[in-house]
Amino acid sequence: MDWISLNTLLFAGKWLLIGLIYLALFVVLIAVRREMFLRVGKKELPVVSALGRLKVVQPGSDVRLHAGSLLNLDSETALGAAPDNDLVLGDRFISGHHARLHWDGSSWWLEDLGSTNGSMVNHNLCLPHTPQPVPTGGLIQVGDMSFELQDLSS
Amino acid sequence: MVAKKSGARPWRGMEALLLVIVTAIGVLGFTLLAVGIQVQLKQNPLATVPAALLPALLVGASFAGIHILLRVRRVALEPILLPAVELLLTIGLLMIWRLRGSSGVWQQLLRGFIPGMLLIAALILRPHWIELVRRWAIPISLFGLALPIATALFGVTDETGARLALKLGPLPAIQASEIIKVVLVIFLAWYIEREGREATGRARPLFGWLRLPTLRYLIPGTLFVGLATLALVAMSDFGAVLILGAIFIGMLYAGFETRIFAAIAALGLVLALLMGVVLSFTWQVPTVIQYRFLAFRDPWSSQQIELNGQPSGVTISEGPGYQIQQSVYALIAGGVTGTGLGFGSPEYVPLAQSDFIFAAILEEMGAVVGIAVLILFAILLLRILRIALLLPPQQVFERLLLTGIAIHLFTQVFVMVGGTLNLLPLTGVTIPFLSLGGVALLVNLAEIGVALALAQRLEAEPL
Repeated sequence: MDWISLNTLLFAGKWLLIGLIYLALFVVLIAVRREMFLRVGKKELPVVSALGRLKVVQPGSDVRLHAGSLLNLDSETALGAAPDNDLVLGDRFISGHHARLHWDGSSWWLEDLGSTNGSMVNHNLCLPHTPQPVPTGGLIQVGDMSFELQDLSS
Repeated sequence: MVAKKSGARPWRGMEALLLVIVTAIGVLGFTLLAVGIQVQLKQNPLATVPAALLPALLVGASFAGIHILLRVRRVALEPILLPAVELLLTIGLLMIWRLRGSSGVWQQLLRGFIPGMLLIAALILRPHWIELVRRWAIPISLFGLALPIATALFGVTDETGARLALKLGPLPAIQASEIIKVVLVIFLAWYIEREGREATGRARPLFGWLRLPTLRYLIPGTLFVGLATLALVAMSDFGAVLILGAIFIGMLYAGFETRIFAAIAALGLVLALLMGVVLSFTWQVPTVIQYRFLAFRDPWSSQQIELNGQPSGVTISEGPGYQIQQSVYALIAGGVTGTGLGFGSPEYVPLAQSDFIFAAILEEMGAVVGIAVLILFAILLLRILRIALLLPPQQVFERLLLTGIAIHLFTQVFVMVGGTLNLLPLTGVTIPFLSLGGVALLVNLAEIGVALALAQRLEAEPL
């Protein structure tokens, strides 16, 4: 290989390199265009069969929730700030183990577990460690948060 | 009847195509560079080609590995982040090979690239690590704050008198200023998520329309930035101070509903900058900044530099202006399409492998590739911000993390490209993915890993 043809090759290579870089940018453009025809959103969590749901009315100072969020309930649901609860609530007036929601086969019961700031059902303060019946659509208030109970058992 | 495919479908065909193109760019670029250098030395042109192809193939194979990982995990989104990063990295490695030879490239690959790619893979496989970062935000912040303070006290002083690196025993030196930036992003994201709604809710009306937050919400953030800034000033790393300030203002603006926070922070930064400028002209202590400004105004100035009130016999054009002059000459030598890989002389620009790598790119690959690099950075930032916007509004921490990452990458590029082209006073920071610097590359790759981990929370389906 003599020097002149090598120089020609290097010249061609330089332009090929520039061409390839802009080809990559062009393909990026095509990829963006393709995404225009996709619907993008957050992943829906798998639907679990739940006995009931709590609809958030007032999220208090829990930044993870907003009004209208739905929380699934089992037959036994522990509410509180501690991480071992079934529903971990981030409001600042929630005790570690605040309350327990229970389904006995015919109605829902809320039991306050001796929380510092108490729990209310339809604006009536619950006695500690005494289960109170919660009607469907009833308002549960714990700390600064309030929820509406939705019954899905039927 | 064909059953409808259920679940998220990975849309990664474009990514595969792009990665192939970018790897081809790497192979071609390294071949041209090896031949070019040998031709300049009047030696056998093909002698070093196999050695030069090794890093190109290693980079290509690593990105292909991450691509396969994303396919296995059925991640539907973000086909552009990986190829854009690979292209930037390849261009950077080409220039590092040109200036520092194979040892520089392998140092970059072993200290920054390989750990960074392993971190990306880990973040993709374990996306809940981001939740751990959220939970451990306070220890992480304290550690990040301790690093620059330790560096300011015990750091290794380099030839320019700046203490930038912390050397602990046999470990390679740690650039604390690279770590503190990403730690500030984590801290602010955590803090704003915790206090954002509270601070907005308890803001006091002032003059009826301006809502002023109670003082206690300003203190922790200001304290963090203040301490970090003091440590960085003691290290005389003014570029990092500027980046920290920009992250602080940007994230306060993005995170709080009341805009007054960002306004206060911006006012504070402007005042601090003005004070710094005034001080540097009246009071002789921060001479670095004073001469940076003078060199920016006229890099060819023959004004004498005074050290501690004594004329040092060095003019600005021989001292701080020299870098800028050389960088402008490199830009002129490069022209539109560059001198060709291996045919320029970027080694005349001081620090061309780290701070001034953009000047080297402009000289050897030309303005066309320089503009392509800037376009790639723009695409990268917009893609990261796009993930932040698509995440559900409750995930405040994650969204702010991505916003902060985008601000971090943007300010680094903006400050350094502006400095290289003499459009801004020079501050020494690295350009993400391009500059030689193991810790910086590791941090930047980790940030891309965070973006890819969070992209897994999204899914796509045809309209």
